Amino acid sequence: MKFARASSAGALGCALFIALCAAHAQEPSASPKSVWDGVYTEEQAKRGEPIYGKECAACHGAELMGGESAPALTGGGFLANWNGLTLGDLFDRIKKTMPQTSPGKLTRQQNADVLAFMLSRNKFPAGKTELYKQSEMLKEIRFESEKPAEKKQFRQRLFK
Amino acid sequence: MRDRKLLRLQTALLCMALVGFLVMPALAESQSKSGEWPSYAADLAGTRYRPLDQINASNFSDLEIAWRIKTDNFGDRPEYKLEGTPLMANGVLYATAGSRRAVIALDPGTGELLWIHGEHEGKRGGSAPRQLSGRGLAYWSDGKEERILYVTPGYRLICLNAKTGLPVGSFGKDGLVDLKVDNDQEIFPDLETGEIGIQSAPVVAGNTVIIGAAFREGMTPRSMRNNKGYVRGFDVRTGKRLWIFHTIPKKGEFGYDTWEKGSAEYTGNTGVWTQITVDEQLGLVYLPVESPTSDFYGGHRPGNNLFGETLVCVDLKTGERKWHFQLVHHPLWDMDISSAPILADIIVDGKPVKAVAQPSKQGFLYVFDRVTGKPVWPMPEKPVEVGNVPGETYAPTQPIPSKPRAYSRNGVSLDDLIDFTPVLRDRAKEIASKYHLGPVFTPPIVSKPEGPLGTLTVGTASGGTNWPGGSYDPETHIAYIYACNACIEPIGLVAAPKEVSDIAYIAGVAGHEVTILRGPGENAGADSPKPKKGPRSEYIPMNVDSLPLMKPPYGTISAINLDTGEILWQIAHGETPDVVRNSPALKGMNIPRTGQETYNIGTLITKTLVIAGEGQVTTTSDHPRGAMLRAYDKKTGKEAGAVYMPAPQTGSPMTYMHKGKQYIVVAVSGGPYSGEYIAYTLPSEGE
Repeated sequence: MKFARASSAGALGCALFIALCAAHAQEPSASPKSVWDGVYTEEQAKRGEPIYGKECAACHGAELMGGESAPALTGGGFLANWNGLTLGDLFDRIKKTMPQTSPGKLTRQQNADVLAFMLSRNKFPAGKTELYKQSEMLKEIRFESEKPAEKKQFRQRLFK
Repeated sequence: MRDRKLLRLQTALLCMALVGFLVMPALAESQSKSGEWPSYAADLAGTRYRPLDQINASNFSDLEIAWRIKTDNFGDRPEYKLEGTPLMANGVLYATAGSRRAVIALDPGTGELLWIHGEHEGKRGGSAPRQLSGRGLAYWSDGKEERILYVTPGYRLICLNAKTGLPVGSFGKDGLVDLKVDNDQEIFPDLETGEIGIQSAPVVAGNTVIIGAAFREGMTPRSMRNNKGYVRGFDVRTGKRLWIFHTIPKKGEFGYDTWEKGSAEYTGNTGVWTQITVDEQLGLVYLPVESPTSDFYGGHRPGNNLFGETLVCVDLKTGERKWHFQLVHHPLWDMDISSAPILADIIVDGKPVKAVAQPSKQGFLYVFDRVTGKPVWPMPEKPVEVGNVPGETYAPTQPIPSKPRAYSRNGVSLDDLIDFTPVLRDRAKEIASKYHLGPVFTPPIVSKPEGPLGTLTVGTASGGTNWPGGSYDPETHIAYIYACNACIEPIGLVAAPKEVSDIAYIAGVAGHEVTILRGPGENAGADSPKPKKGPRSEYIPMNVDSLPLMKPPYGTISAINLDTGEILWQIAHGETPDVVRNSPALKGMNIPRTGQETYNIGTLITKTLVIAGEGQVTTTSDHPRGAMLRAYDKKTGKEAGAVYMPAPQTGSPMTYMHKGKQYIVVAVSGGPYSGEYIAYTLPSEGE
């Protein structure tokens, strides 16, 4: 009986989980949140700067302009590379492969701080809450190189 | 050290490979050599040309993916910077791949893996200055035996049986030559971690394998002392060293006196890290030599510094110098000679000239008689600006080719800044006002917090033509060369803290933390540099709302007639970047295609087409996130077709014929997309 109860509980848990996932999946595919919504804090970006300087600048340059062996982390090429994806994709790429000499060396918190610094240097606005450090949550934040309002206005003008 | 697991895999795959090879020879023999791609740049002349025409303007856009191979599993981590160009010889395609720099042999029609070889080098590989999959390998055959040669990240020359992927026991020691020894110098601090390696493909001419050397990036060296990048020739049968060329002359050798105060003794680098070109008939080798230690400050190496940034011609059999021409005296701009010299038999003023044409970062195509080393068109020494960095010595003049004119931007004036709108232009001028501007060879300056922060340059470290080099059609005598026309490099110098470097000045920005720049994958174990105290200057983005600071075109392909030295046409290569097309500041404006600011695009030319992929991702109404492989009419530069790639081109395309079909293979990677070779071909009939 114990087993059966546990099993029922488990089944209920699973059902709830699936229901939650389904509810989650039914959310509008265009996530309401983007990098323009103040998804990191200035404080966090400041924390990320020295980590960037120590772990990333050697290849990507102190000014994020890239070098002979690593791409720029600012400017049009960088923005286009990630436009339409999510911060989770970018975070995972960093976490999985960086720093190149010792991938995975940085903690999730450090990676999030570095990412916050990168966002600040790319002129995405800071906000009141720190950047998440869980990939799944970061995947809910869309990387949009264009400011949504401007994009909308621009398109409206185009289609008038 | 050799990886046993891989060897076991090799043995298993060997059986498969042998079955394949039993049925292959008849077909392979029937193939025209012009349908193969047996060396990195198609041939030893550096042309990147095959006279194939099945794929042409009428059908280029119909290309389909024949096969593709991800390189993620050829190493212990995925690689996002796949730079290889495969070879195709005798019915098999060979490539380097993955973060292990494995060698793979594939069926050229299906992409099926025939064999794989990898070297697990431990700390030696992990501390190498140039890691990842490299640019490729070399193929050799005497008609019976076939061999594949490549250099590992840890700088060991490996010789494999091309049929089996197994090391050739009679070559070196069990198929391996340790390139860190027998090098006329003691590599310091030790053989395991000593800084020297290479990422380019070896070249094989006759029975000689020629290998250069590469180091970490040289903008912020830790020391004025470094290992030296000599070039060596080895016997392809035995691995025995045949000759060595001292790119920094030893005492008593020609050019030693161009290193004043004995600086030849301790200065290093000055290697040949890019592709080497050979004229087998003349028995001459053309070595494009890079910068000496310390890219931007030469105060510890007074003098002209031969053979730094010099094109050197040596004898194929002996390595003896035949002639040389220094493109940049006393190098201060990181103008490494960065790509393969191109051999061109041209006709100038009615007279045939066996020429060698050298594309460059600084946008000059330097053309010489390749027998004598004399410039085909005058290259007068012209006075250049002398800087004021303490301790620096400056060459008062530099050679400037009178023809062809520069094919890409190599200096910065206010006229070069973005000018889409007066507002954008004003903002660009404001950024530029913090820097010293000037034409080609304007020297680096000491960075000051109040400004100037440095010299704003293009056509230096990553400008113009970099490692992919150019292409050349030996029938029409026209060279086709990609160049980044807007790859800016602000060069400021800061006094190096003693705990960071023994060099007086290294690259940096006044008031910012001094950062030692590393090559890909260089050992991160060293102490991190300490912040420099002092007034902090503000962060200045080198773009205007992410728009490039320079005005378009950002990247170009130029067609240059080498008989006349004239630029026949020049086009912007690459879709206008998203940031420009979608910029609210530019709405309503009709901006012609701008090309892209990418420095590592290689071109392939066929009978009628110039083919090159884009170096940046775009998202347009015509295609989702991705990049296009584009073809242009060789005669006019007019676009002839385009096909979608899921990621930018990061390795130069190549082509071959296999079983009656033409294929184009290109390496793509970058951003979220890990390395992949993609083979395109036309749909089969009936499809």
